[in-house]
Amino acid sequence: MANTETEASGKLQVPVTVLTGYLGAGKTTLLNRILTEQHGRKYAVVINEFGELGVDNDLVVDTDEEVFEMNNGCICCTVRGDLIRIVGGLMKRRDKFDGIIIETTGLANPAPVAQTFFVDENVRSKAKLDAIVTVVDAKHLPQRLEDSHEAADQIAFADVIILNKTDLVTAEELAAVEDKIRAINRFAVIHRTERAALPIEQVLDRGAFDLNRVLAMAPNFLESNEHEHNDEVTSVSFEVESPIDPEKFNAWIGVLLQEEGPNLLRTKGILSYANDDRRFAFQAVHMIADGDFIGPCKPDEPRISRIVFIGRNLNRPRLRRGFESCAVA
Amino acid sequence: MSQSVAQYLLESRGTHRMLDAFVVTACFDRAGSTAAFALGDGRLHLVSLADRDTWTTVEAHDGAVLSLTPDASQTGLISGGDDGKFRRTDQVIADFRSKWVEHVASHPGEKGKGALVACAVGKAIHLFSAAGEKLKELPHPSTVTGLAFDARGKRIAASHYNGASLWFVNAKEDSPRKLEWKGSHTAIAIHPEGDAVVTAMQENALHGWRLSDNQHMRMSGYPAKTEALSFTRNGKWLATSGADSMVLWPFFGGGPMGKAPIELAGGDGVTCTRVAAHPQQEMVAGGFADGLVVLAEVNSSRILPIAPPGQGRVSALAWSPDGSQLAIGTEKGFAAIIDLSKR
Repeated sequence: MANTETEASGKLQVPVTVLTGYLGAGKTTLLNRILTEQHGRKYAVVINEFGELGVDNDLVVDTDEEVFEMNNGCICCTVRGDLIRIVGGLMKRRDKFDGIIIETTGLANPAPVAQTFFVDENVRSKAKLDAIVTVVDAKHLPQRLEDSHEAADQIAFADVIILNKTDLVTAEELAAVEDKIRAINRFAVIHRTERAALPIEQVLDRGAFDLNRVLAMAPNFLESNEHEHNDEVTSVSFEVESPIDPEKFNAWIGVLLQEEGPNLLRTKGILSYANDDRRFAFQAVHMIADGDFIGPCKPDEPRISRIVFIGRNLNRPRLRRGFESCAVA
Repeated sequence: MSQSVAQYLLESRGTHRMLDAFVVTACFDRAGSTAAFALGDGRLHLVSLADRDTWTTVEAHDGAVLSLTPDASQTGLISGGDDGKFRRTDQVIADFRSKWVEHVASHPGEKGKGALVACAVGKAIHLFSAAGEKLKELPHPSTVTGLAFDARGKRIAASHYNGASLWFVNAKEDSPRKLEWKGSHTAIAIHPEGDAVVTAMQENALHGWRLSDNQHMRMSGYPAKTEALSFTRNGKWLATSGADSMVLWPFFGGGPMGKAPIELAGGDGVTCTRVAAHPQQEMVAGGFADGLVVLAEVNSSRILPIAPPGQGRVSALAWSPDGSQLAIGTEKGFAAIIDLSKR
């Protein structure tokens, strides 16, 4: 009953784009490009107060990233308290903008931002994550990946990756960097850029959380067996051709997220349930899961269910067996 | 039946307009001569109760008005906006530039002394004399999410992450009494007798502290977040939003600890979004997500609908100081003043 009156259709929800990336990767350059291009749309921009460069926009909100734990007994369930307030505040002038862009600090872990859009009812009813866009520096990314978890996390969370400063590396180096990105996240769209120049429709209004598209874009569902180091972020996906039993799936995924949540950065799935013509879209950030029915299957479409995991310490055989066991017997 | 009663009251006793912007909040000045609606497009709409058909507009903020309250003096209002301004209608008190002024509060002082105005910006409370002179800045560990003076204007309380802080406004050395409770606290109210502080929390619950003995109070069971907290005049009840009824917690007979709240005007599954306790009597006004506004008499549980559903989620509800007028605003921009005085 809470807020259902305003949840209504997805159209009322404001699309939110999250921009992440290390200091110096080109986030602010990309942001200023988005804002100055003539696209006839207005964006409310949320920046952190230690931003690198000025941002030229009518509606800029300066914030202090305040990450807090939810009191739900789940240690990895953190949200951005400042965003809950800001989204609430911006909704008072909803007619003044078409979308919200949130720039995070260089070292930010994207999980709290993403989780905010799942956990807080008021935010959920009014805004919707459109895409997480991560800007990386082609020259310095390898070093960053060595230095810190955050660089890999930012790639793991991305729906769109801007591989920037390609003019500073050789073709071989570029290919090597792209391989490193792919090893972490096989499902994001990668754009190679110089000075973050690309058509903005490649960044905004992606509907990347429209899982349907994400999974359709997943390049291949064959598995390579490289990158087995436990601490590295990798991605795996599985598909099942027979319909899924929702009860079995819920039981399995519930336990899995509870036990493995800290390692599972993102989980996304499109499921065909037995006895239901609609497809069920499932997604999770660590332990926080969300799901909803999306459009009906087309009659001629095979009723395949797919699931993608991006995280650390992924036990492929176990995940595969688990997912396969959710099929209707 | 109740809808037609409400429609009748709205038409016969009310003045209303569509203001075409989100009504963020509403209030009356201390004299009770003017009603004000604060809008998401930066304007204030002022209505003199002597001439209800004339609504005047003030361009108060460049952006959204985020907060509004009566000024410390008998007339006038103070507001905060997402343009960083803390102002009276005719004077900017302070400019915080790109920071939002999310909360404002005032107190008229006692015996003509000690009138104060305050605003919360980011992690700080800024305290000013009524003349607009900056008195002090009170820092907090995280962003201030709610602000309230006690009934005598001696203390000011702020809610924030991991609890609340209670400051003596005239202290020589500022150090707050820290009221600690893990989690994110998002709104605050002080009991009229000054012995309890209550906050609303992110997790659809309230937390309270009894100041005399540091007893904690936990009030939970809400299906949604509580956005509005309002003590009845004598402090017997705390009225709250966040359920499909108005939820009133007893602050007497040892309560609220171990006592069940009473629920008024519930039953149709629509979330109560605003409550406002009557300033004189044991009566509470409640606004709902479908636009319905009701009055409820606490002791008899009698309900009188005064605005019918259909005008948008109720986002503002305020009584005039004498309790004869109720201002109503909704997210769709509907604004009304209902005259409940005896005729």
